[in-house]
Amino acid sequence: KVGPAPALTKQPLEGLTTASTFVLDQPRCVFKDFGNAVIWLVVALAKDAPAFNNSAGPGTPETAFQSFPEPVSAYMTLNATLGSYPCIEPPRDITVLRVGSETSCAKDVSRPTCNGPLPGPGPYRVKFLALEGSVPVAETDWSMPITLRTAKSPSSLSTAGSGHSAGMIAITAILSILLAILLAALVAMLVFCSSDSCGSSTFSKPDSVSVRRYNTHHVYDQAAARL
Amino acid sequence: MAKSDDCMHILQGLLVFGNVVIGMCGIALTAECIYVVSNPHGAYPLLKATENSDIHAAAWIGIFVGLALFALSILGIIGVIKASRTLLLVYIILMVITFAFEMASSITAATHQDSLTPNVFLKQMLERYQKSDPNNNSDNEVTKTWDELMHQNHCCGVNGPSDWQEYTSAFRGTHSDADYPWPRACCVLDAKGLPVNLDGCKLGVAGYYNRNGCYDAMSGPVNAHAWGVAWFGFAILCWTFCVLLGTMFYWSGIEY
Repeated sequence: KVGPAPALTKQPLEGLTTASTFVLDQPRCVFKDFGNAVIWLVVALAKDAPAFNNSAGPGTPETAFQSFPEPVSAYMTLNATLGSYPCIEPPRDITVLRVGSETSCAKDVSRPTCNGPLPGPGPYRVKFLALEGSVPVAETDWSMPITLRTAKSPSSLSTAGSGHSAGMIAITAILSILLAILLAALVAMLVFCSSDSCGSSTFSKPDSVSVRRYNTHHVYDQAAARL
Repeated sequence: MAKSDDCMHILQGLLVFGNVVIGMCGIALTAECIYVVSNPHGAYPLLKATENSDIHAAAWIGIFVGLALFALSILGIIGVIKASRTLLLVYIILMVITFAFEMASSITAATHQDSLTPNVFLKQMLERYQKSDPNNNSDNEVTKTWDELMHQNHCCGVNGPSDWQEYTSAFRGTHSDADYPWPRACCVLDAKGLPVNLDGCKLGVAGYYNRNGCYDAMSGPVNAHAWGVAWFGFAILCWTFCVLLGTMFYWSGIEY
């Protein structure tokens, strides 16, 4: 047994886990003593991990990706030699392994070591296995269970408004009050002033400076009396 | 009598001034509402698709109310200077009616703005983006608008690329999750429209995909239009209220 168990990468990636893929750190400097070995990734459902037999060969129907998870309980993929995982960490490259990235061979039974998209949310456990020929020489521990994302249906989204904002309530309330006051004042003005009790002496019209003529009984009598 | 004459002149002056302001605000309101109606922002097709274009109804009402306010303010100025009871009575009644209409427009604009939550756009995007039905024009509009939005504002989804992961969608039905964790429009594209680094985009490496959601870019113009119509209308109505009360007081003091 060697090295640290595989784990989801610590790099900040948006696609760390999606519905059918996840991203692991590369096993750099883990298998450095096994220069001749081919390093495989074993993927299994978490419940089937302990039952995996290291002597199962890659590329056989018993470990074919296309038959995962029924009846194959664990498949082997992403084979690489030690040259792919050198000990020196390149400063700026992203050194990760994306499990589930090959969609072209997902249904192609002639490629049993396909790194195809995972069929469900898991949880899955993975480990690295180094084989020299068909003899397992080194392995890592099984990883912690990795659960993928499940998508909800959009009909679960509630599109009801989040209630009314304070601004809208303020506008409605204040305008309603103002309109009510205006209508009340209009009605009061019409009722009050229809009984001739306003406009008597407060304001005068700008051009009403006329003197009324007073014809009394006297004037007519006097005129008649003179004649 | 001199004192009443002074009061009368002051009140007349105030009312004329108030009506002048109302007239100018009426013109400004008409101009603003014409701008809102004729200048749809980039996300307008999405608004149309939500079948919620109350903001347009509010703006159309605003145009006519603005013109009415201008005309009535002229009537009011004439009525105050001539101290004519009939003119002022007509003025007051028509102004109250206009007040009611503008109130409706203002409240509609404010309510409309409240109803546009992110979830409305999210649901529409998930259900209609890249829904591959060539006969449905409205869905194609939605897809085109979203692609342009995401490209121009360097954003993805409503809240972020995780929208495409958290919810199933019409897009997810035709594009596998492993190849397209989010649409290609969410990737940083080069001049030819191809992703700069496709693997980086699929992994979600910073710099190769758009990390922010588009809601802020969308809601900015929508909110500006709605608040413009709602709050400017509110301000005009408050001023009109004062002028109308003054006019009623003046009317009740006119000799006839």
